[in-house]
Amino acid sequence: MTAETTSRLDPRSSGVGVPLVAVFAPTAILFVAFMGIPLAAMFWRAINSDQLADNLTSDFVIDAMRLSAITSTASLIITLLLGTPLAYLLARYNFPGKIFVDILVDLPIVLPPTVAGVALLVAFGRRGILGPEIESLGIELAFTTTAVVLAQTFVSAPYYIRTVKAGFESVDVQYEGVAATLGASPLRIFWRIVLPLSWPSVFAGAILCWARALSELGATLIFAGNFQGRTQTMPLAIIGVFDAGRTVDLAIALSVILVVAAAILLLILRLFARSSNAGF
Amino acid sequence: MLSVDFEKQVGNFHLRPKFEADEEMVVLLGPSGSGKSLTLRAIAGLLTPDRGRIEVPDGVVFDASTRVNLPPQNRNVGYVVQNLALFPHLSVAENIGFSLSRWPAGQRRQRVAELLDLLGLTGLESRLPGAISGGQQQRVALGRALAARPRVLLLDEPFTALDAPVRNALRREVARLRRQLGLLALFVTHDLQEAYALADRIAVYDQGEVLQFGSRQEVFGQPKNVRVAQLLDARNIFEGTVIAKTEAFTEIETPWFRARARAEGDLSPNSRAALSIRPEHVILLRHGRPHAELVDTVLDVELEEEVATGNNHRLYLRVLRDGMPTECVIEADLSAHPFQVMGVATEKRWQVALTLDQAVAIPVD
Repeated sequence: MTAETTSRLDPRSSGVGVPLVAVFAPTAILFVAFMGIPLAAMFWRAINSDQLADNLTSDFVIDAMRLSAITSTASLIITLLLGTPLAYLLARYNFPGKIFVDILVDLPIVLPPTVAGVALLVAFGRRGILGPEIESLGIELAFTTTAVVLAQTFVSAPYYIRTVKAGFESVDVQYEGVAATLGASPLRIFWRIVLPLSWPSVFAGAILCWARALSELGATLIFAGNFQGRTQTMPLAIIGVFDAGRTVDLAIALSVILVVAAAILLLILRLFARSSNAGF
Repeated sequence: MLSVDFEKQVGNFHLRPKFEADEEMVVLLGPSGSGKSLTLRAIAGLLTPDRGRIEVPDGVVFDASTRVNLPPQNRNVGYVVQNLALFPHLSVAENIGFSLSRWPAGQRRQRVAELLDLLGLTGLESRLPGAISGGQQQRVALGRALAARPRVLLLDEPFTALDAPVRNALRREVARLRRQLGLLALFVTHDLQEAYALADRIAVYDQGEVLQFGSRQEVFGQPKNVRVAQLLDARNIFEGTVIAKTEAFTEIETPWFRARARAEGDLSPNSRAALSIRPEHVILLRHGRPHAELVDTVLDVELEEEVATGNNHRLYLRVLRDGMPTECVIEADLSAHPFQVMGVATEKRWQVALTLDQAVAIPVD
């Protein structure tokens, strides 16, 4: 801690007399409790349920986990392959209408995912604008796993593109110029210089994107439906529990898995940010 | 041969450099923002001129009239940028070998080892740039630029961030390397001493234009106009009128004194001209003491101020006319030893001599 922040936080130098921490601590504790109690309650129920092991290994839960793993990984790979070039173009070039592309890319972050679902349905659904064309190519989208991947990609890619674009912007263009005078082709420059130097952003963006895909619900529900083994990822399975009047313990088991997975992803992100700050 | 003659409009700034150079060290000298660095970028291929032509020893790299514009990759130009831009995630050896990716591995290793040896970097090959000293980073940047054997080396104020001793050592090394490798080097700086120490030829830049291009002696000895003299930090510039011009000298009358300067330059009588003499060439004489040598102009002066600058003393001497002080102050440099021996600080009245062969007549325009 620097001398400046020390003195600012030191109540004796503030002249107020009452340490600020004494004023803020109660509300802070209250809020942490509000965030923590529901999660703790869920874990409490899960641990005390004698059905937990059975629930975790039930076909219903296993199917949802498998589908979530496959679809979120697939949408992450699609985003990496297609989102990276877009992020680079947005970071390095100005072109007419760039602001609209920028806004378009950011929109899914602020829109309700259900809106994304409706939009996807209207565009690519069986009765959508491009539905007949897609069908004539022999591709079946509606209520398939592919539709789940599309919905997740649509909603999660912006997190990746935004993060990586900022990463590319922070790489001094001077490196690229010098590399060009050293005979490196544009692709080699990207691969050997730009990408390694923005690697922390690529990694962080990928984690965020994957976590968002894993928790995707609204768009998937509308565009892909809720069918066990085909489109029923973990968040949809939780809805399925209540729809089908199954035991709520199933929903708790699924929720616990999702919470643990999300917490691990966030922890990795924090640890990685710390280690990459310590590097070059 | 290198030939630069192009125009480029960047916002309000009009860049229009023009000069030619052979295998030598050319210093681009001028204030910051005068277009020196942009010129290097254009030669390297990172800035496309609007008009004109750029030729390097390997051929024409840009010609607006024939639509030639080689990409940076094909120009065979070594470029060291101001902040070096060493690739921070690559080792010293990987940085130096970056331009050799298409060489067979064995040859590449050999070339990198050769450069490490040439630059005194052996033993550091696996370090990252962040883990070596500023001087070593400079050498790595040089090695990286030289690896693919370019015939032109562009150096953009490469030593500004370094301490004076390291700087001097690197300057000498760059000069040695250039001679040894037979390179044509363009060296950008705004530091006069650096320019003087390194240059075979100097291009004096101001506001996007090369005001004067010539050998170091030409440029420092005979600035083309008052602006060039100012840019070269000539301290004593006194404007006046040419009253006589002969084969041997140009005589100038200023409001405070009359003096003779060298005859170079085509100044005609009655034209406006400035007399300029560098402070180190002003000769200090004891007042009232007869001086045997034939000096050309002797002026009565009064010591007004004295500033010690390292080994030198800069004297500010007010010119007297008929015993009365004038507005004219002459600056003179005296090294520490004569300063003490003569007891300069203890006397007020002195005389200065301006010798004809050190005084320059400069056109005023």
